[in-house]
Amino acid sequence: MTTQAFISPGRSAGWRPTVHRRMVSGALLLVSLFASIAMAGFREQALQIHNRVAGVPPSEAVLLQMASLIEGGNVAGAVEVAMDNEAFYSVTLKNMATPWTNREQTVFAPLNDYTATFIGLVRDEDDFRKILYDDVLYISNAGGLPAYANNNNNHYEALETAGHSLKNTLVRRDQSSLNGLPANATSGVLTTRAAAKAFFIAGTNRAMFRFTLLNHLCRDLEQVHDTSLVPDRIRQDVSRSPGGDSRVFLNNCIGCHNGMDPMAQAFAYYDYEFDVDADPEGINGSIHYNTEADIDPDTNSRVEKKYRINASTFRYGFVTPDDQWQNYWRKGQNAALGWDASLPGAGNGASSMGKELAHSRAFAHCQVEKVFRNVCLRRPTGADHAKLDEFTDSFAANDYNLKQVFIETADYCKGP
Amino acid sequence: MDTLSQPYFHSRGHYRPGLLVLSLLLTTLLALAGCGGSSSGAETTPPNPPPNGGVDDDNFSYKGTNPAATADVLKFQTELWVKIAPENRCGSCHNDNGGQQPTFARGDDINLAYAAVIDNGLVDLGNPSNSRLVTRVLGGHNCWAADPVVCGDIITTWIAAWAENTGTEANSVVLTPPEERDVSDSKSFPDSPGAFATTVYPLLTEYCGSCHAEGALTRQQPYFSSTDVNVAYEASKARMRLDNPGASRFVQRLGIDFHNCWDNDCAASATAMRNAIQAFADTIEPTVVDENLIMSKAVGLGDAFVVSSGGRIDTDLIAKYEFKTGTGSIAYDTSGVEPATNLILSGNVGWSSAWGIRIDSNGKAQASVGESRKIYNQIRVTGEYSIEAWVIPDNAAQGENDNNPARIVSLSGSATERNFTLGQYNANYSFMNRTNQSDADGLPELATDDNDERLQATLQHVVATFDPINGRRIYVNGEFTGDEDPTPGALLEDWNDSFALVVGNEVSNNRVWLGSMRFLGIHNRAMAPEDILKNFEVGVGARYLLLFNVSELINVPLSFIVFEVQQFDDYGYLFSQPFFTILADPETGTTAQMTGGVDVEGIRIGINGAEVMVGQVFANLNTELRQDQMVEGRQVLSTLGTVIEAKRGPELDEFFLTFDRIGTHSYERPEPTVPTPAAPADVEGQALIGLRTFAEINATLSTLTTVPSTNAAVAETYTNVQQQLPTQPNMEGFLAAHQMGVTQLVVSYCNALISDTGRRGSFFPGFNFGAGAGTAFSSTGRDQIIEPLLEKLLAHEIEGSKLDVQADPDELRLELDQLITRLVNGGTGTTQTAMATCAAAFGGAVMLLQ
Repeated sequence: MTTQAFISPGRSAGWRPTVHRRMVSGALLLVSLFASIAMAGFREQALQIHNRVAGVPPSEAVLLQMASLIEGGNVAGAVEVAMDNEAFYSVTLKNMATPWTNREQTVFAPLNDYTATFIGLVRDEDDFRKILYDDVLYISNAGGLPAYANNNNNHYEALETAGHSLKNTLVRRDQSSLNGLPANATSGVLTTRAAAKAFFIAGTNRAMFRFTLLNHLCRDLEQVHDTSLVPDRIRQDVSRSPGGDSRVFLNNCIGCHNGMDPMAQAFAYYDYEFDVDADPEGINGSIHYNTEADIDPDTNSRVEKKYRINASTFRYGFVTPDDQWQNYWRKGQNAALGWDASLPGAGNGASSMGKELAHSRAFAHCQVEKVFRNVCLRRPTGADHAKLDEFTDSFAANDYNLKQVFIETADYCKGP
Repeated sequence: MDTLSQPYFHSRGHYRPGLLVLSLLLTTLLALAGCGGSSSGAETTPPNPPPNGGVDDDNFSYKGTNPAATADVLKFQTELWVKIAPENRCGSCHNDNGGQQPTFARGDDINLAYAAVIDNGLVDLGNPSNSRLVTRVLGGHNCWAADPVVCGDIITTWIAAWAENTGTEANSVVLTPPEERDVSDSKSFPDSPGAFATTVYPLLTEYCGSCHAEGALTRQQPYFSSTDVNVAYEASKARMRLDNPGASRFVQRLGIDFHNCWDNDCAASATAMRNAIQAFADTIEPTVVDENLIMSKAVGLGDAFVVSSGGRIDTDLIAKYEFKTGTGSIAYDTSGVEPATNLILSGNVGWSSAWGIRIDSNGKAQASVGESRKIYNQIRVTGEYSIEAWVIPDNAAQGENDNNPARIVSLSGSATERNFTLGQYNANYSFMNRTNQSDADGLPELATDDNDERLQATLQHVVATFDPINGRRIYVNGEFTGDEDPTPGALLEDWNDSFALVVGNEVSNNRVWLGSMRFLGIHNRAMAPEDILKNFEVGVGARYLLLFNVSELINVPLSFIVFEVQQFDDYGYLFSQPFFTILADPETGTTAQMTGGVDVEGIRIGINGAEVMVGQVFANLNTELRQDQMVEGRQVLSTLGTVIEAKRGPELDEFFLTFDRIGTHSYERPEPTVPTPAAPADVEGQALIGLRTFAEINATLSTLTTVPSTNAAVAETYTNVQQQLPTQPNMEGFLAAHQMGVTQLVVSYCNALISDTGRRGSFFPGFNFGAGAGTAFSSTGRDQIIEPLLEKLLAHEIEGSKLDVQADPDELRLELDQLITRLVNGGTGTTQTAMATCAAAFGGAVMLLQ
């Protein structure tokens, strides 16, 4: 069968694929499945909405209930019925967020505190921007689970294995009460254990910034590359003459590092600590934060050693003194990311930097885009772009309730 | 002679006029007469002394009447005089036998030779490279090697060795004002992209637009091929050289990097691009420098002060290569230790204008066996040594991790026989050394820890030391790597004096190391960690102080902002550590005094009449120039540094500074206009429907069969097959393997359903699972199986009509009915047939598509 078959609404009902008759399962039951997709009605729209939002088909009763709501002009009500399905949380949202929580961007990873917090914030219809800066973490109150722990993911893995409802058992907690970080050092999912394990492990903490940009602003560094900015905050570990050719630095490296390094400085006091000999993968490591009482012996400051490594690569580079970050992208081509004019564009620590990102237009638009791909199963194209802008406006007008985006997107892609 | 001892050298190493009346006379004579000069003052240069091959220091000694009167004279005698006094050096003219004045090479009385040197100011012990002895030779006066720089460096080394214990300070430079020059005009980019749009832009859009545009499917910054010419123009500016179109990044990417050339012809592509940029440049009239800019005076490297590389610890250096020559096929050994072990460049070896050589495929730099014997001899005497190098590996992926590294420096006879080798494999340095505990190949090797990734493809200082106590050690950028020698306590043994010193390859030419070497030194002692650190801190290559005159801007005479500048590599300059200083008037000796401070904001570096576009590290600088903040006459403005792209080359490039604000002057820097980004590309022909993905399939099957996904058998199957299921909803990616995964999972679910008596009873009400297949699958029985399956799939008639987007129920019924018939006729049992029917219904596209 070809893709064309699915995108041609005018196929006749008599079209049949050629299949081997002895196949027990397979595509043979597709017969005339999409024969008249163009003529879909309320029930068909209800089916599509439920499939796309919850990931599973509805029961007949739910289908009819949703169709009735749609027929009555209450599409939002119909989408809410779909979002009431457990699978919306345990399948759709979980799998939407899972690739954000590891460097490989794999979907095959267990539930963790990052994904649970994402799911919880959506379920509770909270201001979704808090995901990057609030003192928040979601755990499950289901019985028989190991408690939340800083040095393992057992709580969430047991929750998932036992098949407890995420919709019903996730409860909101102050993150600082669970992971021991000072309240002002918590920063939404950025300071969850899962994020720390993936992006604060070893390295230079730039990964946390890059992956946040990728996952929550829908842009890799390539898309924000701008060589015209002032490169005075690029750290010493970046070679200014890779392979003996400074043109490479001046045309490539500088364009990302000049904006990224002053932003990633917000994470200067964080690390992911683990026993590199007994546990080289860091399975049982935990997030660490240098409070005012914690002076790193290598830097003689609160700044983690990783911010000063390879200092001899370019000794005239920037030496990180603290966690003061600054958003150079407010000027130049990346001003188009739509920064919040009411914020100062600079500050100290992860939370205020997370807020800087979360309050950008690009952040809101990115969430809309992700929902669009999830619900419409395709990349936005043509007239979709204007729709996405419209959804982004609506997202903002509805206090950044992500369910609203699901509602509007599902409505848009519910079929004719 | 006591009067000539140390008190007469002040801290900058300059000699104060002493008591010897003779000095005035000699100074004059020196200025007028070179060796072979005439009394008329006209210089004629006699034939050079013979090459140094015949010099044998051991046989040349001082045999004069008076011994050295002071310790310093003795030091002069042993470190300098004995090297320059032989007849094949300066001694052939500047001797006491009716020779040329000044007679600093005289052998009758060492104290008079010393006086000749001192009184004539022939040496600058604070800055040996600035010594008259050196500058004369550099100027072409009777060097014994082909390259005057070599003799200059060697004499510098000798003078530095003399200076070492005289209490002078290295690097103390007395700055004097450079010549005042205004910034010259140049071409600069017009505001409008009009000419660009008709010259360069068409090439960019035609050949680069499939990536370097926002609308491209594989969009890649920079967007110089944007459909919006304004966007393209902004992105292109930094990649076009109006003064030298051929040096534009656009041209180099095609011509040198072979980056996506068109018509499979990179040379033609590069030429076309160069011609287009040339055509664009030709449309632009040279413009006067933007008069709104607040500028310092202009200076070039020719005006700069060369900062001595003094401070290096070279006490036991036996071979030294600075690779300054820049042309030809010889890299000279300028250690001053005879005989010179010069390296002959062969194969693909190029010179770097920033002092260095670059080894490419099949290249190497190798000394003759005879000249290499010095290394052998000198190290055999001490039983220890160090290899010190400044290197830039091309990559961190060369060399083999089987005791067979790419050879950076080697003293060896073949690929399997060596005295020592410093090499690279991947991100590790490797060190092989022949001892009483090694084999002939110098194994086992000492390598840096894999996890440390010590070697990076950037300029690095690496030192490999060996001594019998500590064994081998490797230091990178001044730091001991901590890697321990696997054979501690070994002694050098069986070294072969017929092995050759070779750089960048094996003598057999089959272990090439790709990279650049900017310095190589062989020491016949294991260097102390603090000495290694010191040499690392001194750095490599030529360093200059560029003085930018800001006197007119702040109304303080002879006030300067000074940058330390190095030629960083062939393509850029390093500007670092700017400081503010006020110089004394050379005529009156007085230094102007500032009252209060002067604000300075936003320093940018300009080159050849235009501000540099990329790398303006000091653009955010905001400070106050204050005389009372000066330490030793300097107020440090920043500890940062930056790399600025070279334009016309070190001889021609002219630099200046601009300021956003300095004193009462300020410049309102216009914000660059940022065009609105274009919309991303549209993807045509995308499907409106898609596949359920792995977790959705699992949840869907659980929903359809009512079997919880936590059911042990089901969960196990899911764990096994989940990565075999679709991860993306797009149907173009659907594979047969996906369907096989679905099949396994659906069979597991249906098996769990049919095996559970209670669950199947509720699911298939009325069906008699206890009866034989022939009986159970009566017409009614078939309905009892098929209809619940279709209802779950919503593939039945709902309130009398099927869903328009769903499969035709009758056709599904027919297919399932035929399946049951075939199974029953084939002797399949009741539960198996029911299970297969369940799997057929739930495992197909009706379930899979959404």
